[in-house]
Amino acid sequence: MLVLKAFWQKNCPRCPQMKTVTEELKQDGYVVEYYDLSTVDGLAEGAYHSVMSAPTLLLVDEDDQELAEWRGVVPSPDEVKREWAMM
Amino acid sequence: MSLESRMAKKTTHLKNDFQESTDLALFVRTSNEDMDGWNRQKIVAALVRETYLDVETAERISKEVEDVIMSSKIGVLTSPLIRELVDAKLIEYGLEKARKMHTRLGMPLYDVDQLILRPNRENANVPHGPEATNLTLAESIKKEYALLSVFSQEVGDAHMRGDIHLHDLGFCDRPYCSGQSLEYVKKFGLHLPNAASVAQPAKHAEVLLAHMVKFSATLQGHFAGAIGWDAVNLFFAPYLRGLSDREIHQLAQMMIFEFSQQAVARGGQAIFSDINLYWEIPKHFADVPAIGPGGKYTGLTYADYTEEAQKFVWSLFEVYLDGDASGRPFFFPKPLVHITEKFFQTPRHQEFLDFICKVASEKGNTYFVFDRGDTAKISQCCRLSFKLEASDLADASQPWKMRYTALQNVTVNLPRIGYLAKGDDTTLFSKLTDVMELAARAHLHKRVFIEKLLALGELGPLSILSMKHDGSSYLRLNKASYLMGMVGLNELVQIHCGEELHQSNKALKLGLRIISHMKIVSEKLSKKHHLKFVLEQTPAESTAYRFAKLDLRYHSPASGAVVKGDLSKGEVYYTNSTLLNVGAPINPIERVKTEGLFHPLITAGSISHIWLGEAKPPAESLANFVTKTFHQTQNDQVAFSPEFTSCNDCNKTSRGLKDNCSYCGSDNVDGITRITGYFTKTSIWNKGKKGELTDRHRNAELFTQKMNKVRNLKEVI
Ligand SMILES: [Zn+2]
Repeated sequence: MLVLKAFWQKNCPRCPQMKTVTEELKQDGYVVEYYDLSTVDGLAEGAYHSVMSAPTLLLVDEDDQELAEWRGVVPSPDEVKREWAMM
Repeated sequence: MSLESRMAKKTTHLKNDFQESTDLALFVRTSNEDMDGWNRQKIVAALVRETYLDVETAERISKEVEDVIMSSKIGVLTSPLIRELVDAKLIEYGLEKARKMHTRLGMPLYDVDQLILRPNRENANVPHGPEATNLTLAESIKKEYALLSVFSQEVGDAHMRGDIHLHDLGFCDRPYCSGQSLEYVKKFGLHLPNAASVAQPAKHAEVLLAHMVKFSATLQGHFAGAIGWDAVNLFFAPYLRGLSDREIHQLAQMMIFEFSQQAVARGGQAIFSDINLYWEIPKHFADVPAIGPGGKYTGLTYADYTEEAQKFVWSLFEVYLDGDASGRPFFFPKPLVHITEKFFQTPRHQEFLDFICKVASEKGNTYFVFDRGDTAKISQCCRLSFKLEASDLADASQPWKMRYTALQNVTVNLPRIGYLAKGDDTTLFSKLTDVMELAARAHLHKRVFIEKLLALGELGPLSILSMKHDGSSYLRLNKASYLMGMVGLNELVQIHCGEELHQSNKALKLGLRIISHMKIVSEKLSKKHHLKFVLEQTPAESTAYRFAKLDLRYHSPASGAVVKGDLSKGEVYYTNSTLLNVGAPINPIERVKTEGLFHPLITAGSISHIWLGEAKPPAESLANFVTKTFHQTQNDQVAFSPEFTSCNDCNKTSRGLKDNCSYCGSDNVDGITRITGYFTKTSIWNKGKKGELTDRHRNAELFTQKMNKVRNLKEVI
């Protein structure tokens, strides 16, 4: 099963933009998990995936392998859907 | 009436009393190396001077002690014995606080005897000799003093129990470790308070080197741990203009021999020294006006001295490659090469990287420090580094200001929290928070104590740290860090979820959650106490052993299944800091990558060790490994550790740890390898480290195989 992991932080200027995208994907039935980098769980998950900045969006498989990544950039919903479809 | 006049009155009164009651024909051996007649009033005077007791109580206690002595058949009375008898009385009266204040610090005869005859195993950097014995004796008293007087009872007890470890208690009257700038010595010369003579800023490279070494020795007397020097090859460069290659090589040789042979300072220890080196001119120094001979600006910037700086760093590594006269690796100074983004854009970087990797493979000296993005670090101690912040980068234009310190290091015994939590997450994280709050209180105590010493200024014990040649104190207390270390994350995870860090993603993620929690708590504590608490990977040369031993005592049988090493020999240890099991056969690139996941969380510095054993991998393989580590991982620092056998009969050094010399067969040999952050003879290691040495997984074969990019841990185990 594929999952989108969205890493965000308070006062991060482009995080709301990512959220708009991921919320749209969520409504279309994609699985999205949010991680707040200022919390223990968010920070730990971020460390696991070497997330150094917010926003970061990762597409991972059931083994937590990163299949696609958008670090510091926000993709369009279509771009994410294309990557998802290729897996 | 003031306290002093009351005391004065008491003394007069006591003198009269004393004349009436001395008819005891007893002599007391005093601490002033003379014999005194029995004088009960000395007890009274000591109790009134040292504790809060009133004269009446003190009188009563002294009389009772006198009765005990008179009714005994004691031949020679010593002042320590009298004090013990008095303390016993204080306990009888329930005067616990007074007893504590009246404590005598010292050591039993047996212990001193052992100490003089046997080597110190707590710190393998201390050789055995009269000076070393002095150091240990002084340390033992200062340790007791620290536990009674610097830290609170609560903190002291937690240390004794092994919940936490307060590092270098025997050096409680000094800050922990420090980073220095040569620019200070270049600009101000050697002008130390209370010194017999003052030296002007150096005009020649050799003189600058002499100043650097002497200043290091002085600083070693004022800090508990390492003395690190920033950008050494760069700051020497203006003094090297016009020198021949031979002269530069000669200077490099002098620098390394001077530091490695300075075994005359503290307790016969070599100066625990780091030199930070760059191939490129780091961005933050490129445009800075260079200081040259006589402490004067040369009119050029440091970028203009690239050629000299590169020649010097190359020469230093030529010296490391040769080793000492017997071909052994130099133990100190440790060369820390910073690899930055700019490194890879600097001409001949590959040639240089191959060369320092050759040194790493042959002798192991090279440390590779990775400064990715815009971080600039000064590494010091075993693995302490500071990420320079914006205000520090402003200081960089006046580099003599770049002096840093970590005031204290307090390490948390992570596995112990595991035994207490019994598998419950909530308990685990709340206990971890509690122990970090305790560590913060320990830091506050130390800070108060150091401030008290610094407040005495140039007349105080830390006068050198309060000198103000550039307008502010040499020790910049406002820039100080307070280190929160950890030992045994691997074992905590093992206790809590049944698997070690390298055994499953679940275990690894639990480890990351624990360290993330520590990071967030340390940030909250920083805000609360207005002190900069930062996580550090504790070197834990003896702490990993001490915690394991104490947990075997207090948390058996659970601890027996978790502690690493050989229980039957007592060679037990916990895995250092956040490292993976040292014995697990993990591909080195995977080790560096997985251990590196923790590094961004640990602000004050981290390292991964690759144990080479007998193997001597080709320089190109290591260079490729280092480059990959920089670009594909978050790892902060890497060192490769070969092993050596050095023969005391034929003076030759061979590869690997062997019982006999491979040249002459003699068994009079010393094993040499890296203990934690530095090379030493393995014969003087403590038992825990000996256990770890047996377990270390040597990556002999792996560098010759193709190192695949393996992401999933299961593939390599
Ligand atoms: Zn030999």
